[in-house]
Amino acid sequence: MSRKTNEPLYQLRYPVAGLIRLGVLLGGVGALTSLLPFVAIVELGRVLLSPGPLDIERVAITALVIALALVLGWLCTGLALWATHVADHRMQAALRRDLVRVLGRVPLGWYSDKTSGAIRKAVQNDLEDLHHLVAHHDVERIAALVLPASGLLYLCWLDWRLMVLAVVTFPVYAVAYVWMMRGFGDKMVQLDASFSRVSAAIVEFVHGITVVKAFGQTGRAYQGYREAVHDFSERYAGWVRPLLRLEALSSLALSAPVILLATLAGGAWFLSRGWVGPLDVMAAALVGMALPQTLLTFNQGMVAQRNAQAAAKRIASLLSTELLPESRHPRQPAGSAVEFEQVSFRYGDGHEVLSDISLHCRPGTVTALVGRSGAGKSTLATLVPRFHDVGAGTVRIGGVDVREIAPEVLYRKVGFVLQNAQLVRGTVRDNLCLGRPDAEDSAIIEAARAARIHDRIVALPRGYDSVIGEDAVFSGGETQRLSIARMLLADTPILILDEATAHADPESEARIQDALSVLAKGRTVLVIAHRLASVMTADHIAVLDGGRITELGGHEALLRRDGLYAHLWRLQTGPAEEASEWEREARA
Amino acid sequence: MISDLLKILGPKHAGDLRRYLLWLGAYGVLQGVATAFLVPVLAAMIHGDGQRAAYGLLALALTVLLVAVAHYRQAMKGFSLALVVLTTLHDRLGAKLVSLPLGWFSSERVGRLSRSATGGTMMVTNVFAHLLTPVVTGVLTPATTALTLLFFDWRLGLTVLLAAPFIYVLHHWSASWIARTEQRVDAAGVEASNRVVEFARLQPVLRAFGRTREGYPPLDQAIDAQQRAGGDRLSATFPRLLMAGLSVHLAFAALLVVGVMLALAHAIDTVELVALLALSARLAGPLAEAAARSGQLRMAANDLRRLADIFDQPPLPEPARSLPISDPGTVCLSNVVFGYRPEQPIIDGVSLRVPAGSMTAIIGPSGSGKTTLTWLIMRFHDVDSGAVQVGGADVRGLTSADLMAQIAPVMQDVYLFDDTLEANIRIGAPGASDQDVHEAARLAGVDEIVKRLPQGWRSPVGEGGGALSGGERQRISLARALLKKAPIVILDEATAALDAENERHVQNALRTLRARSTLIVVAHQLSTIRSADQIVMLEHGAVVATGTHPQLSTNEPRYAEFWRERQRARGWRLTDVETSA
Repeated sequence: MSRKTNEPLYQLRYPVAGLIRLGVLLGGVGALTSLLPFVAIVELGRVLLSPGPLDIERVAITALVIALALVLGWLCTGLALWATHVADHRMQAALRRDLVRVLGRVPLGWYSDKTSGAIRKAVQNDLEDLHHLVAHHDVERIAALVLPASGLLYLCWLDWRLMVLAVVTFPVYAVAYVWMMRGFGDKMVQLDASFSRVSAAIVEFVHGITVVKAFGQTGRAYQGYREAVHDFSERYAGWVRPLLRLEALSSLALSAPVILLATLAGGAWFLSRGWVGPLDVMAAALVGMALPQTLLTFNQGMVAQRNAQAAAKRIASLLSTELLPESRHPRQPAGSAVEFEQVSFRYGDGHEVLSDISLHCRPGTVTALVGRSGAGKSTLATLVPRFHDVGAGTVRIGGVDVREIAPEVLYRKVGFVLQNAQLVRGTVRDNLCLGRPDAEDSAIIEAARAARIHDRIVALPRGYDSVIGEDAVFSGGETQRLSIARMLLADTPILILDEATAHADPESEARIQDALSVLAKGRTVLVIAHRLASVMTADHIAVLDGGRITELGGHEALLRRDGLYAHLWRLQTGPAEEASEWEREARA
Repeated sequence: MISDLLKILGPKHAGDLRRYLLWLGAYGVLQGVATAFLVPVLAAMIHGDGQRAAYGLLALALTVLLVAVAHYRQAMKGFSLALVVLTTLHDRLGAKLVSLPLGWFSSERVGRLSRSATGGTMMVTNVFAHLLTPVVTGVLTPATTALTLLFFDWRLGLTVLLAAPFIYVLHHWSASWIARTEQRVDAAGVEASNRVVEFARLQPVLRAFGRTREGYPPLDQAIDAQQRAGGDRLSATFPRLLMAGLSVHLAFAALLVVGVMLALAHAIDTVELVALLALSARLAGPLAEAAARSGQLRMAANDLRRLADIFDQPPLPEPARSLPISDPGTVCLSNVVFGYRPEQPIIDGVSLRVPAGSMTAIIGPSGSGKTTLTWLIMRFHDVDSGAVQVGGADVRGLTSADLMAQIAPVMQDVYLFDDTLEANIRIGAPGASDQDVHEAARLAGVDEIVKRLPQGWRSPVGEGGGALSGGERQRISLARALLKKAPIVILDEATAALDAENERHVQNALRTLRARSTLIVVAHQLSTIRSADQIVMLEHGAVVATGTHPQLSTNEPRYAEFWRERQRARGWRLTDVETSA
């Protein structure tokens, strides 16, 4: 593994590098110390078996060394893992905070193509995947290095032939391993690709199950799922099946009984040739049997290590997401006029959404953005609160480029009520007071009344102190009215409004509409309109088509122009007539 | 855990699993026996008795042969079980899922399900291939070795036997502590991630109120709590793990002390003692390995539990053969009661008759049970009491294929498959001619989407239909229903996708559907409601009024009030309303 592919890991681990180094040091000492009892037992054997009366003192000291080495070796290894687990724990907490910091500073538009699933994956699964990397990998690696190396050195010091004896079965496995791992990288890439198809197929199968059952198409959707699954399992099984016999046989070479047999049989031969003593054979057997353990542990961590590396890469890239640029010398907007001047905007994929838009919204006026879906209405409106920054041109508030306004000032100026109103998990009061934590009860109640939600709140078991999701469950329309009350309290002079909000809940449509009307009063409003009738009284109506403003004016003037607006208007007022026609047909 | 494995493997493989476990056990025990030959061989070598050493080696070689056989058998059986899981688990899971009532698939379940189904197979494979063997042999091998000590020298054997309960208790104790902290750590972790996701989801709101600058207290607290829980866990479990591990080493130290004392008292042959100490040194290694792997095994066991839970779900009972459809196109509910919890009925005694070819509009405030009612007709759930009849047959007396042949649903949250536009419509009737598909598409206004997209009919719709707008997805769903030409159409009028063009297409499609099918509409559009043959007004899961628009408008004050409100909403202008609070 080259240093370069590991780069994100090094960056992420940097703050806890000290603890990890401590873990590695302790792990190394622990591995070395855990070898010591074997050496000392051999020495104890020499003392016990030496002719003449027992040297009690040496026996006692050797026994003590064994006991101490056992305890010390275990403690060092344990403490090493403790240190790295603490490191992992600290790093995860720090990373979580870093991720949150990034989430709070990326352009809002960044969220438009991110699902909460993707964000959860980053803050939960990916962070957890780092566990092996920090908490285990380095300690296991040092043990896999130190224990075999020192064990073999010890045997070599006794007699080089013993060293050979202890590892005599290893080549069998090594050759088999190399054989089994040939093409491993390519295979893994293929398998990963195949496996992600499986994941997608599972997701689709599970999410679409209602549809497939409803249309009696169980077989069909099932088929896609099956194909993906079979492709994967055939690939995987096809790859491992021929290797299984080899793996089952070759892994025997590293099993303790086989090593025992090899070292004892070889030892008997060495003994008969007078090369070594019986206790040297014992040393070879003991060390030989202890060798494979650390190597296998390390090897089995390889998959976890691979996952951790992939996770680290994703986290690092998330952390390096471009943040919303902030001006060093922020300026204070004067007033609440909104101006777009020759604004163009394109998404990352190069697709131009807005081109050369100029539009002035005077303070206290309502400007409606209309047009077909995909015309750029929402994109244009959300440029004001900087969901994205313009590609060319300028968006100004009170004469100041929005990019030069400090974010906290900007968000105090511009509020928005969009289709997906969201509540915070907390009390109703918490939700209403988000923008003004110090709001007085009277102000809160006034806002709730104006947003036509007060009666609903006081009917709850704990009134304003009811907790969302516990004793307060709100329908879509009620959620919208709460968010409108919240905006009323926040009292921003500029308001971006999605008119579809009014239809979040047909059953309480009229009440949401009343609340919106209250909210819109006296502010500079930019409304994304779907039902033309609801904005026919707006001060200005801007018609967007293909990312350009093609028509601009009042309702009557636009109807007279007989352009796109007039066409859309006829379309929209049409259905009612058609429906009544249909009624007549039905009656006939 | 074993029973969970059995459920996941399926009854066909119960014997295989048993045989695998037997070979695995034999492998563990034989390893312990083989290791014990270290004693006679070493003793013979020290004594310089070449012949006895050779006999010992021969016996060892024979035992190793048995070990090799057991190792090979258990490995191959483990691998083959892993392959069974790999090749059959998804099929079995799919077959199981298809048999469950659709009501089972709540969005939360669906999320969890895709997670455990994706990671689950690899994990189960890993259990057989890598996890079970070291844990089982790690316990059985040293246990066997310890027993052989008893055979060689009863005093040393007794020492180990006395130590064994301590080792067991300490390991059990530390493991139970880990389990105990696990819950808190998990809960704190879930809470923290939920708060982060909430924080991300709420960014527009939080920023609008300047909350990302000053920090967002619930999130900060959740992260602090998680950090504390994790830190507490480390400081609670590591000392205990250290002590549990230490107990093994102390047991060995005790053996050493007893042996040395015996030697000093000349109560044991020193040669034998040396050999026995060498054997004892082999006790700790496998145990430590088992302990290291047991954490992973426990995590795998949790995953297994979740998978096995799915197999435990009771399937929707289906008859082998359907009752005859005596009265096609009719729907009849008699005294239907249904609720997710018995004390909270969502549908509370609804009776309803929908004649063939008629149109019924279901109206009522959100949460009144409108959508649930349509689910019961499609048998997403079974009723608690009462009966639902479709085409004159009780839905419980129809196979799901036969029931669904009667009904075409147009649901609120339309799920599209990651395929082409055309393929997604064709789901309605796979055998339909191109002409029929295009006709259905035209009636639902899909042809306009086709014109807009560069690849036309062959345009991919993206995962879950993500490349299309909500209204466009609804149109495709309409086209599917049109194509299916089922006797009954159940339509949930979308509340969100209300742009004018879409509305027009929905109305167009409704007109066509009405001419040839029974229509049951969860209605929001006034024109739809007004033109229905029957309006059913629901409140708190019960029917409060039934009738036509003219009937209800004059006789039913609640309906009249509803109608007035909706009329007012229809004429709304953002800027010219009286703003009295």
